Amino acid sequence: MTTDMQAIDLQPSGPAARPAGLRATAWRRLRRDPVSMFALSLLILLVLAAVIGGPLAAHLTGHGPNQQFPSALANNGQPIGVMQRTYEANGTTHDPHGSLFILGADQLGRDTLVRVLYGARISLLVATSATVLALIIGISLGLLAGYLGGWVDSVVNRMTETAMAFPNLLLAVGLAVVVGPGLLNVVIIIALFTWYYPARIVRGATKSTKQMTFVAAAKTVGARPRRILLVHLLPQVWGPLLVYGTSIIANNIIFEAGLSYLGVGVPPPTASWGQMLSDAVTSGFYQADLTLALVPGLALVITMLSFNLLGDGIRDALDPKAGR
Amino acid sequence: MRRIVINRLFGAVIQVLIVTLLAWLLFYVIAKFTGASPAQRIAGKEASPQQIALVARELGLNKPYWQQYVIFMDHLIHGNFGFSYVQMRPVSQILWPATRATASLVGGAAVIWLLVAAPIGGYGGLRPRSIGDITGRVLAILGMSIPVFWLAPLVSYIFGYQPTQGEFLGLHFLPVGTSVFPIQGYVDFGQNPIQWAYHLILPWITLAVGFAAVYIRFIRTMTAEQLGEDYARTARAKGASTPRVLITHVGRNIAPTVTVLLGADIATALTGVFFVETVFGIPGLGYTGLSAIENLDYPVITAVIIVAAIIAVLANTVVDLLHGVLDPRLRRASGV
Repeated sequence: MTTDMQAIDLQPSGPAARPAGLRATAWRRLRRDPVSMFALSLLILLVLAAVIGGPLAAHLTGHGPNQQFPSALANNGQPIGVMQRTYEANGTTHDPHGSLFILGADQLGRDTLVRVLYGARISLLVATSATVLALIIGISLGLLAGYLGGWVDSVVNRMTETAMAFPNLLLAVGLAVVVGPGLLNVVIIIALFTWYYPARIVRGATKSTKQMTFVAAAKTVGARPRRILLVHLLPQVWGPLLVYGTSIIANNIIFEAGLSYLGVGVPPPTASWGQMLSDAVTSGFYQADLTLALVPGLALVITMLSFNLLGDGIRDALDPKAGR
Repeated sequence: MRRIVINRLFGAVIQVLIVTLLAWLLFYVIAKFTGASPAQRIAGKEASPQQIALVARELGLNKPYWQQYVIFMDHLIHGNFGFSYVQMRPVSQILWPATRATASLVGGAAVIWLLVAAPIGGYGGLRPRSIGDITGRVLAILGMSIPVFWLAPLVSYIFGYQPTQGEFLGLHFLPVGTSVFPIQGYVDFGQNPIQWAYHLILPWITLAVGFAAVYIRFIRTMTAEQLGEDYARTARAKGASTPRVLITHVGRNIAPTVTVLLGADIATALTGVFFVETVFGIPGLGYTGLSAIENLDYPVITAVIIVAAIIAVLANTVVDLLHGVLDPRLRRASGV
């Protein structure tokens, strides 16, 4: 009897050891892929830009992110362009250290470079926290639905189906209008409209893993549902989640920018890419100086591109059919 | 088969009900606690609590919530979406032309993205790692990474605004005042089909870019997968030409899945429509919804959300049911 129990108890370590091997292989494959590594280094640069880039640029240029420089606007209200300096009324240069606007100024005379770096902060902060929140909701509901089945599964399934079949931006904007603007509100709103994605993936993965012998073995030795869920099933869903994780973050960055673009994101004057783009477009100044729309737009495109390329790389690396 | 259809329709009705409940809760219940209630909005910012209470009674907003919801649903089922207190006319009058405009935009864009994605994706699946395939994949990942709210003003700037300044892509070779494409505006199909298409070309292309990217990747993967199947090899071995294998054999096997994807993407497209409609000034659902949100015109917002949800759910349901018809394998699997 005792020996039998031990034999069953050893069972879980068998399949549990294999994903670790797969993980190492995947990482090795990912490291050999130049495109993925390029994307990863771009993302690391982006995080650096968000963490220290803003204050550093503000220190070097002497321009705060929300500081308005009336001298950076021409008499017709047109902001100065790339690599231009501000001048005193009598035509002499300002303090050479503080007069240069590397990427020009916006329609309120604020430094575009400093603002776009500070905007990276908001984009990453909102997107990652919303993703973490969405993952917490999605993983919990997905695990419960996949493991318990029955009516819990039906309810969660119906909820995800409704959420997916729904043009959620309009409701998100409506919600943002009703609850009011604010950083935390934006995070919660984005999470409320993205949780169903991980929920579906986790539900599917849990459903198939539940059938495996090591779960049955855990049940036989008397593991409680909570232990089975957290110790045995949860580690199995990370693989499929990782592939989608990058695209969820990328989508959330777009979501945040979209909300800001529509004027219901993080409230001004805080710099965010969507807000900068919207300022340039709605004011019409981008038609005279395209840089105003190009800078925040390219920041978004490069970020999205990095996440998408890395996501592709991770998917290929995790693909068991690909050659090792 | 009949059970599946009934089940699916039942699910669709539930989905629409959930959406109406959510929309109603948001604008008529939650809004009350955040100080943005409809009564407050109509009475104005300086209204006294008594005045607000009076307006609330007028609108029936002082009744118990469940009664309000029942009345709201009763009106909805009879096609009564309420009265817009900003535009001062029934909401249903606003909705119909807006739905037509949005349908024109999404429908035309869908045609474009399918026409672009099918040959590029198909070729990529046929000749993986060829120059054409790599170009297609680079274009696709770029298209996926460009947010539509950035693309829309850029397209409008380059093709709409710049030619009027005698410029194209930074080159001055056009006479000032040239108009290649309209910068803004919309003409209804019933009025003038040619003007309708002319005004929609730029919006169509803008909306189609992101979707074309996703479909290129999808069709590429599917084609490569199907070409590895026995039936495709047999067809080739029999001497069928490559176009024939791709179109009649592989194409027929991919088409049902692409159709299902298309149904699901109607909902996604209705999101992109916001930005495209506002930039190009098309009076569709997104444009109407957004200006209603700016004016806190609750009956219009609620109606737009519900109509958009009904369109999305309907597209999904029709496509799911169609899937069974298009794909004989499913019919057999469901035991008919």
